[in-house]
Amino acid sequence: MAMENDMFKNLKEKPMTLRFPYERVEPVEGIRAKVSWDIEKCIGCSLCVRICPGNAIELIGRGRRAEIRYNVGRCLFCGECVDVCPTKAIYATEDFELVFNSRREMITHFKRKKNRKKS
Amino acid sequence: MVSEEIWILIEIFLFPGFLFLFSLAFFTEWFDRKIVARFQNRYGPLHVGPKGILQPIADFFKLLSKEDITPRAADKVPFRLMPILLLTLAIAPLFCIPIMGSNGLISFEGDLVLIMFIMSLMALLVFIGGWASTNRFGTIGSIRAGLQMFAYEIPMNLSMIGPAISAGSLSVSKIVEWQINGVWNVLIQPVGFAVLTICLMAHLQRIPFDIPEAESEIVGGWLVEFSGKKLALIRLANDFEFVLASSLMASLFLGGPYGPWYISLITYLAKFLLCAFILSNLRAAFARYRIDHLLTGAWKYLTPLALLQVCLIKAWGI
Amino acid sequence: MTFEIPFGPQHPALEEPINFMFKIEEERVIDVKTRLGYVHRGIEKIAESRNYQQLVYLSERICGICSFAHTLCYSQTVEELLGLEVPERAKFIRTILAEMERIQNHYLWLGLTAKEMGFETLFMYAWRDRETIIEMLDMISGKRVNYGVNTIGGVRRDIAESTIERIEKSLEYLEKRAEHYTRVCTKDPSILKRTVGVGILRPREARALCAVGPTARASGIARDVRADEPYAAYGEIPFKVVTYRGCDVASRMYVRIDEIKESIRIIRYALKKMPEGPIRVKVPTRVPEGEAVSRVEAPRGENLHFLKSNGSDKPERWKIRAPTLANLLSLCRMLIGVNLADVPVVIAGIDPCIACAERVALIDAKTKRREIWDGKDLWRYANEWYRRKYGF
Repeated sequence: MAMENDMFKNLKEKPMTLRFPYERVEPVEGIRAKVSWDIEKCIGCSLCVRICPGNAIELIGRGRRAEIRYNVGRCLFCGECVDVCPTKAIYATEDFELVFNSRREMITHFKRKKNRKKS
Repeated sequence: MVSEEIWILIEIFLFPGFLFLFSLAFFTEWFDRKIVARFQNRYGPLHVGPKGILQPIADFFKLLSKEDITPRAADKVPFRLMPILLLTLAIAPLFCIPIMGSNGLISFEGDLVLIMFIMSLMALLVFIGGWASTNRFGTIGSIRAGLQMFAYEIPMNLSMIGPAISAGSLSVSKIVEWQINGVWNVLIQPVGFAVLTICLMAHLQRIPFDIPEAESEIVGGWLVEFSGKKLALIRLANDFEFVLASSLMASLFLGGPYGPWYISLITYLAKFLLCAFILSNLRAAFARYRIDHLLTGAWKYLTPLALLQVCLIKAWGI
Repeated sequence: MTFEIPFGPQHPALEEPINFMFKIEEERVIDVKTRLGYVHRGIEKIAESRNYQQLVYLSERICGICSFAHTLCYSQTVEELLGLEVPERAKFIRTILAEMERIQNHYLWLGLTAKEMGFETLFMYAWRDRETIIEMLDMISGKRVNYGVNTIGGVRRDIAESTIERIEKSLEYLEKRAEHYTRVCTKDPSILKRTVGVGILRPREARALCAVGPTARASGIARDVRADEPYAAYGEIPFKVVTYRGCDVASRMYVRIDEIKESIRIIRYALKKMPEGPIRVKVPTRVPEGEAVSRVEAPRGENLHFLKSNGSDKPERWKIRAPTLANLLSLCRMLIGVNLADVPVVIAGIDPCIACAERVALIDAKTKRREIWDGKDLWRYANEWYRRKYGF
């Protein structure tokens, strides 16, 4: 019976739970969520590949032609790759509601725009 | 002549008979879940129907459509019969409770004793159901249900006899009539009301006395092997027992319905919802007791208090 | 009539799979046998193929709730091997986060024990209050569990001034709620009946069976790594080691609620006295040869990590001893003589985290010889077994 006052107070207040998906909570500043690449800045140094604890990044090609394959399923959202990239090509997004329908959808391939050689 | 019989059929099947009772049972389950949820600072049923009022019906139909498994080692006949009997016995006493006017559909001298007898039979059926499932947890749950019956039967029956002694009759309808002409029993027998509330919580197997069904200790107790249609019927029987408990509290102590038919329905529902609110409040406010706590507490406090209440009635001569 | 009841590995009362076989006679437990191993993940084996920086994130995932304590212990071990000194501000930030994790863990524990007792309302309220502290941790680190703030050589994120004001407000709210729960748990008759006198562990037995954490402190033994061997900034912060002498589940409850209040005081002191400065130093990738042991007071007890390095950038052997493993023997002793209805309450009383506790040690019952197998032995055994079974 020690909780009676508390209980009657709660009867009048609005419930604490949210009616998801109609009410959502705003993500905080600095949330660690999916990362993304600005592929034009990447120089293919593969520091991010070496530091990733979950082996989620794959580098295809070399140097300035390198392309990135990023597997969200293996990503730990630790943010080490964002810290280590020398050209700041990797940036953190606020995308944390990640739902996929197949394993193939979890892999994002960041391709470069092809340079047209002047003939 | 014919219209008389049609009127009886309407009374039995529609109002205040089966249709009304079924809707009242589902509504009471919704009310209970919503009140307990609001006490716990969350929403309760929300989406099915306006404000979630159709959720218990949805749960009932979901359970009806699930697979119904009978364990190989179980006693087939008691195991299969028990949910049906439980549901039947849960609906039967409700016909004696006055809802429209001060006379129930069935009222005779001694129907209070019939109600008490059927409530004891329901507890016995719980014991048989758990025993027949031959599961270790089911056996422990059924033993506990039997022990629990030892604890609350006597104080409950004594506190129900109290209003009968005051009114001088063993019929619920007569007790209600006596209260309409006099004063509500809760004002002259408050101890009896409190004892009846606590014993009804034990009979309904709600927290703090849901010992036979303790989920976190014995994984469901006597309910553990029931699934599909049987579980649906058992849960519906639980709802009807809740309706019966609230109606008994409202009729025996709070005066029951009175007045012409539209007013009597409203007064009945108001008192019924007040008693349901009290039962839901008590459910949210306590931890679960152990079986030995319940037994010692019942024999040390509840039974003497109920006896004291009966003696006081005789002493005051009311 | 003697029953044998299996408790787990799947059970509504257990969070993680563990198996107890109880022998019950008339609702009293007369014997208990334990089996572990259902959630063994091979962490110490994975550690042999990852470098030290990546292992910080692996150590976080040993346990979801005491994750910061594991990273702290691991980072301190590596820093000892490297001979590094962490900057002062980083030590204070580590202390603040460790205490916040302690508060979060104790609120979670309060809710779980209430649920085992059947008190759903207290469970909902305790977890609602836990949301406040989790939001604080979310603001500081960006995540609600597995914060990713600790690293070898310091911390990765700083606590900004604007955050400090919001932390102050949450701490006030949490202190008020902790006072309310103390009142509820000392006055409510149903809680008192379920916890007082249940699961007794005498001080002599607690010392002999090496109980750690609040389980030992509730039996009057003042054992706390923060006071015995101060690490991070604990040497500079005055605090009290909370003990009670009741030896039962109720005392463990009071110890934990008082520890919440003590943690709030520590955080306030640390926030006021936090020095300015860098939060991180640069760390070489190769660690010189050596062995190091580090101890940390996780919310559940004493956490111990042992690291052996061989000069390369991957460790040679990493051994983790989590607090629940030390408390399991005391649990088996506590459970004898207890009512069947009280078993979940007693098990929840030591705050079990079975995921932390899965390590392999082999005991040969016939010759009573005890050996510890390492990776090579396990490889050899696995190959031989398959060779025998499939004949190649």
